[in-house]
Amino acid sequence: MTELIKLENVAIGYGKEVFVDSVNFSIEGNQFWGILGPNGSGKTTLLKTILDLISPVSGNVLFNNNLVFGYVPQNEKFDPIFPISVCEMISMGRYSRVKPGSKLSRTDNEIVERSMDSVGIAHLKSRTFRSLSGGEKQRTLLARAIAGKPDILVLDEPTASVDIKGEATIMELVKNIQIKRKLAVLMVSHFINTVSEFSDHIILIDKDNNMFESGTKTELLNKESLDKFFGLNLNLNLRN
Amino acid sequence: MEALGQFINSYFLWRDPMIVGAFTGAICGFLGVYVVLRRIIFVSATLTQISSFGVVLAFYLEVIWLAIFSSLFGPFAISLILTVIAAAFYALKRDFSRISREGVIAFGFLLASGGVIILGDRIAKGAHDISTILFGSAVVVDPVDVYLIPGVAILVFVIHLIYFKDFIFVSFDTESAKLFKYPVRRLNTLLLITIALVVAVSTRALGALPVFALLALPPLSALYLTENLKLVFIFSVIIGILSAVLGYFFSFVLSIPTGASIAVCASIFFILAVLWSEIRNST
Repeated sequence: MTELIKLENVAIGYGKEVFVDSVNFSIEGNQFWGILGPNGSGKTTLLKTILDLISPVSGNVLFNNNLVFGYVPQNEKFDPIFPISVCEMISMGRYSRVKPGSKLSRTDNEIVERSMDSVGIAHLKSRTFRSLSGGEKQRTLLARAIAGKPDILVLDEPTASVDIKGEATIMELVKNIQIKRKLAVLMVSHFINTVSEFSDHIILIDKDNNMFESGTKTELLNKESLDKFFGLNLNLNLRN
Repeated sequence: MEALGQFINSYFLWRDPMIVGAFTGAICGFLGVYVVLRRIIFVSATLTQISSFGVVLAFYLEVIWLAIFSSLFGPFAISLILTVIAAAFYALKRDFSRISREGVIAFGFLLASGGVIILGDRIAKGAHDISTILFGSAVVVDPVDVYLIPGVAILVFVIHLIYFKDFIFVSFDTESAKLFKYPVRRLNTLLLITIALVVAVSTRALGALPVFALLALPPLSALYLTENLKLVFIFSVIIGILSAVLGYFFSFVLSIPTGASIAVCASIFFILAVLWSEIRNST
C-alpha cells in the first residue's frame, strides 16, 4: 500500500522546546488513525506538524508527491464576525487546487455542489456558517474537506461540539466517506470509545512524560497502555 | 431651500472636494470591511495618525530649511513611506513576547499623535494646516488629488478584484491557507499595503478623522444590514460614498468642520443600521 506520510525520528514542539521526541510512524492509504492523549498532551501539535503548519524541532516529515490534505479543524476556531455562507465555506475547500488570483471554474462549483449533497447540507447552502448548529457546522467542514478531493482526511476533534446522537451521525459519515473515496483518515479525539470503534491504527501521546506509541488498535488499546497514558484502570472490549 | 440653492450655485467650490470625498468614501468603505472583519480597526486609526505625522513632518522639514529634501519627496511621499512601513510592520510582526498586539498598536497611535502636535507647534503657518490635516477641509483640496485619489482608488479596486477570494481566505482561515501553500504573508502584506496607500493619499486630502471614520463606520453599518458577505462590501461602499458626500454638503451649508461632519454622517448611518436590524429581528 502507498505510504502517504512518514515521520522519521521527529521531535515535535514549538520553537526549540521539545514536547515529544523519537516520533516514528507512517500513514498509508485507506488506514484510519486515531490520536489519543490526555488534555494538553501534544495531540494538536503532532497534528499541525503532520500538516506542515509547524516545523518539527528535529527529524523529517516526508510526504507523498502532490499529497492533498482535507482538513476539518475545530469549528470554534472560525471568527463568527465573518458572514461566510455555507456555500462560500465549502468553496474554500477547492482552493487547494486553485491558485491565488484565479477564480473557481464551473467544474469547481459543481464539485462544491456535490460535496454539499454528499453530506446532506444542500438545503443550508445560503445560510451563514455562524448560524448553524454544532452538527451542521461539522457536516459543512466535512463537505469543505472532501471538496478538495483529498488523499487524506485530517480531523481535529470532529465531535467535540455535538451531542451523542450527532457524534454517531458525524462518525458514520466520516467512515462512509473513507470507504467510498478510499481515503486515509487521521483523527484527534478525546473519546476513547469513538477512536476504538472507528480507527484501525492508534497513536498514544503524552508530552508531560515524553511518551509516544503508535500501532494497530489491537496492539495499543489495552489495559496497560490506557493505564500508562491516562492513569485509567479500565477493561476494554474491542469490536473488530 | 435657500441653503440648498446657494450650495448648488457654488458647485465650482465643492465639485473637487466632493469628487475626492466620494472616491475616498467608496474605497475606504470597501477596505474597511477587511479592517472590521480582521479586527484591526485600531491599526487603521494608527495608520491614519502615522500618515498625518508624515504630512506634518514634511511641513516641518521645509521650516528647518530642509526644503530640498521635502521638495524631493513631498508631503504625500513622506506620508506614504511612513504609512507603508507601519502597515508592513503590523502585517509581518504579529507576536510580541511580553505584551499584546493592541499595546503596540496603541504605542504607534500615541507616538504619531504626539509627533503631529509637537511638530505642528513648531510650524509657523501651523495651526490651520494641522487642523486641516487632522480634521479635513470643505473647500481646500489639492488639484492633484482630484486625479490622484480616483486613480489610487481604481488601482486598489482592481487589485482587490483579482485577489478577492484570496484576501477573504487568508483573513478568515489563515491555517487552511497555509495548509494549501497560499503565500499568506505576501497576501497579508499586499492587503495592508493597499490600506496604507489609501490611508496615505486620503489622509492628506481629507484629514485623519474622516478617513478613520470612513474605514470603520460604513462596514460596521453594512454588517448590521446584511448577512451576505458580498453585499456587505457593496453596502459599505454605498454608505462610505453617502457619508462623504452628505458630510461635505452639511459642512458647506452649516459651516461646520468637514471631517467632523463626515464622521457624524457615518455615525448616523451606523445608528440607522442598528435600529433597522433591531426592528427586523423583533418582527
